[in-house]
Amino acid sequence: MNKIVEAQEVWKIYPLGEKKVEALRGVSLNVEPGEFVVIVGPSGSGKSTLLHLMGAMDIPSRGAVYLDGMNLAEMGDGDRTHLRCHQIGFVFQMFNLLPTLTVLENVELVLRLAGVGRSVRRARATEVLAQVGLTEQLHHRPAQLSGGERQRVAIARALANRPRLLLADEPTGNLDSASGLAIVDLFRQFNATGQTIVMVTHNEELARYASREVVLRDGQIVVQ
Amino acid sequence: MVLDIAFKNLRARKTRSILCILAVMVSVFLNGTTLTMNKWMYETMTSELAKYMGKIFIQQEGAGYPPIDSSIRQEIADAILSRSNDLGLNSAESAPLLFIRIERGMMPFMPAKEMIIGIPPGKEKVLIGNVEAAEGVNRFPGDRGEVAILGADAVASFGASVGQDVTINGQLIPVIGVLKRSSMDSVNISALLPLETAQRLFAQEGIVSALLLTPNDVNQTSEVGVALRESYPALEVVTQDDMLAEAQNVMRMPMAYMSLMSVTGLVVAVAVIMSTMVMAVMERTREFGTLRAIGGRRRLIMGMVFAETLFLALIGGLPSIGFVLLVSSWMNTSPPNAGQLLQVIGFAVIAAVIAGLYPAWRAAHVEPLEALRYE
Repeated sequence: MNKIVEAQEVWKIYPLGEKKVEALRGVSLNVEPGEFVVIVGPSGSGKSTLLHLMGAMDIPSRGAVYLDGMNLAEMGDGDRTHLRCHQIGFVFQMFNLLPTLTVLENVELVLRLAGVGRSVRRARATEVLAQVGLTEQLHHRPAQLSGGERQRVAIARALANRPRLLLADEPTGNLDSASGLAIVDLFRQFNATGQTIVMVTHNEELARYASREVVLRDGQIVVQ
Repeated sequence: MVLDIAFKNLRARKTRSILCILAVMVSVFLNGTTLTMNKWMYETMTSELAKYMGKIFIQQEGAGYPPIDSSIRQEIADAILSRSNDLGLNSAESAPLLFIRIERGMMPFMPAKEMIIGIPPGKEKVLIGNVEAAEGVNRFPGDRGEVAILGADAVASFGASVGQDVTINGQLIPVIGVLKRSSMDSVNISALLPLETAQRLFAQEGIVSALLLTPNDVNQTSEVGVALRESYPALEVVTQDDMLAEAQNVMRMPMAYMSLMSVTGLVVAVAVIMSTMVMAVMERTREFGTLRAIGGRRRLIMGMVFAETLFLALIGGLPSIGFVLLVSSWMNTSPPNAGQLLQVIGFAVIAAVIAGLYPAWRAAHVEPLEALRYE
């Protein structure tokens, strides 16, 4: 089976004054289509750094990350932006919705960025918002929603362009446990339809909902 | 999408946007007003000078126009007029004039608000051309009586009309005529008196300000001017071209000052818009990072910021055009043409583009990871 993500001996080193911080130390990880991978580990273990590299938001210091066979480090900024727009959906811990736009407009935004026409994007945004259970709040602004509802909007936005890969960085980190479980349940539902998901969390309990658990510690994979 | 989001962002920060728009409004108004002022000064000058087409002024060296500060002995003036045939002058269309300023303009570079012009009876046409009387007569009576003819605007400023007396330097002078509006503002604002009356009232007996001469052949004006300069080197011989150059010279400083005000307006507009936008961009770093993370290209983000600056500039700039039109109507100058209005709008657009460059660049260079760092 073709791998969606293939990380080979990835190192990520950040300069910190005169010192250098090794966030990732030779990490190799493959993600197959349809998998629901949860990356767990304590703070500073490098899990978010790995997610950023997989999401074409950063490039490794050494090693290579391939997305659908394309080496991200060899792509220009414009190509990586195109990839993030069409192939990757991203869910943030703090939701990162645009506060001046309504729920519907926030979801439509990624479709607009992808050049989708007005009627199609309106239909698709409504459809995906229905899938996350937000048909009643289409014209609400993010400030009018609860944390769980905002994260649902963020998930709908991430899925609107039907990405090959959905990346979620601590998506439950800012929610109460019930809302957090509801979000993970949503991920499971989408995964059941074939959506590939990689989720980063420090909550090891959530790992049991995934098809695979990866444990990172001190920039290295200790369980895969 | 860019315009939509930009507009919503401005609306979300109402107070700041309104204050910025007000500042832009003032700046654009300042620019438009200086444009109108420059236009008014130029129009006044050219319309005044147009009446002297083919005429020659002889006045005291360095007196400027109108020759209020010029002083020539009348015997010299008479001597020049007596040589009209030799010099190629039309003596019937030439006359000595006395200019007396009654009230100064609002600013040093502005023309006088009220003047007395003394002119020999029978030579009125040399000065006023074919301007007819709106009321009464436009010529002095042959008996050289002490009477006044008022220019169109002088009726209000001198507070008298035909059949009434006007007080000039403490003496009551009957008004015998009011002229229709002339294209020469110096005539419109003046009370015309017989030359001797003006000389007596202002203790200028035997003195005139200038000679207004008409060559026999208008096409020979320059040549006649050269001959006069050779014959009377102590006097200033001014043709229309000289007057234009002199007037432009006099107006150079005020027009430069106006242009400086205009540039100041531009700098203020740029500074206000830029500070507003830089603040907005800094506050919205996570938002721009998010846009980059979900696939927004740099040029889209630049477009968003530019759209916001353009909105600020145009919402502030367009109403200012109305104020500029009001000012031009108040100053009684011709309204700005389409090109000049475009220039005012262009000013706002240029301010927006300059002000938007740095914030747009800054916003476009927010990395996608910024969306997460702010967590």
